[in-house]
Amino acid sequence: MQCSELELVFEQEGLAPLSAEARQHLSQCSACKHFVEDVTTIVALAHELPADVEPPEHVWVSIREQLVLEGTVREFSEGKEAASWWQSFAELFRNRALATATLAAVLGVAGLSLYRTPPETTSEIQNDPYSSTVSMLSAQEHDLTNMQLASTASTSAVDASLRENLQQVDDFIADCERHVKEEPSDELTREYLTNAYQQKAALLSAMMDRGGSLN
Amino acid sequence: MKLSTVVTGKIILPVIGASFLLFPSVPAEAAAQRLEKHFSVKGRPVVVIHNIGNGRIEVKSWKNAEVVVAGTKASDKIAVDTEQAGDRIDVTSSVVDGTAKPSEMEANFQLTVPEETELQLTTQTGLIYVEQVTGDMTLESVAGDVHLKEVSGYIIVSTTGGSLVCTQCAGKLEFNSISGNAQVLQPALDNVKLRTMTGNILFDGDFVHTGLYSMRSGKGLVEVRFSGNDSFDLNAQTATGTVDNEASEYLKPDSHGMKHMASKFSKSLFGTVGTGFAKVELSTYSGTIRILKRD
Repeated sequence: MQCSELELVFEQEGLAPLSAEARQHLSQCSACKHFVEDVTTIVALAHELPADVEPPEHVWVSIREQLVLEGTVREFSEGKEAASWWQSFAELFRNRALATATLAAVLGVAGLSLYRTPPETTSEIQNDPYSSTVSMLSAQEHDLTNMQLASTASTSAVDASLRENLQQVDDFIADCERHVKEEPSDELTREYLTNAYQQKAALLSAMMDRGGSLN
Repeated sequence: MKLSTVVTGKIILPVIGASFLLFPSVPAEAAAQRLEKHFSVKGRPVVVIHNIGNGRIEVKSWKNAEVVVAGTKASDKIAVDTEQAGDRIDVTSSVVDGTAKPSEMEANFQLTVPEETELQLTTQTGLIYVEQVTGDMTLESVAGDVHLKEVSGYIIVSTTGGSLVCTQCAGKLEFNSISGNAQVLQPALDNVKLRTMTGNILFDGDFVHTGLYSMRSGKGLVEVRFSGNDSFDLNAQTATGTVDNEASEYLKPDSHGMKHMASKFSKSLFGTVGTGFAKVELSTYSGTIRILKRD
């Protein structure tokens, strides 16, 4: 067995008991051995993370849609193994902080891919490349509004500051969106818009975490 | 180094032998309560303060191998715990009564640390002030400002609305904020990355040779004041704002022959001051970029 073959086995079967062939390769290849040890450690530590806070289902749906859209993964109905891999992935990251980081990474990748796409082909591929991001953030904002309505805690200067900054981010996003509609190929504005979405995702997450910790 | 070694060495071992101390409690209605703890250290300590409440964090240095954590907390509705594991010292505040009003959740800290100390400080409101400390530091605040004086290391500052004033700082600086301003005065920094969405940025000082400087504001003003002895390549771009070049007599065409392609959608300014040793990138979406030479 070669290193690449072991990698494939590992990707498809995860940490399930390895075959004799795979074990034999591990006994001879220090690089693969260290890789497996490291992944085992990561998974063990991930299981120790608190799992009491679950991100909303739409987060996983949106991430999946984004990954499919980018061609990073195929539609999950195409293969059972892929679905299984995805479920394991979701189980591993059922934590709001990690979910937010993943969301930020997806936004980053989306922004980067847009940035690198030649302007003339951008509009042909996607009429509105930010639509999934916008709907994802809207859903997150809706959850936050519900949480704030249910909250009995008094409003502090910090909450006021967070809300004020959220308003500033929304205004900035609206301004950039208007400009991008007028000039879809303006890369600098698209870059600012992508960063603004990331900032908004992080801000909403911070506001939800704060609401959760104080109520 | 293998990840497993890192995990074993840096996470598990320091936990062994950790001491856990709780500050004494008094009735909730009492006035602000003072607390003070002393921690002996051997090497370069790592001090972590996570203040979930509001309040000021002030850090100064001395030559003793000891960390002193002093402070006040507004009521018994907020608890302050400290922990020492080797040279790592953790200070955490937590809300013990969910009915606490914002004014009852205030905790202020004054730290005295060895000159070489690493810091990780988090607070909600209130100033974070660090003076004469050398070491990597991560400083986070929602609405509080961050003032740094004569600090050096890899400095990461994140705020939501708080502003940064960095005076005579050295090393590497990263600042990220939504509405906070950043002022970098008399620096000796060789790597600077400043990001704010609506705040202003001011860089007033020398550019170190081979240094990299990137400053971006969405809506705010980005102003750079350089000296006549500076040497740097400049790339300034704005989507809908303006570039105010008040140093045109010092700014020459790029001496390295690099061809800059200006986007037809943005206003750009490229050039070289001196021989172009450092690299300076300035950008805004709608804000003004101003380039000045200091008197």
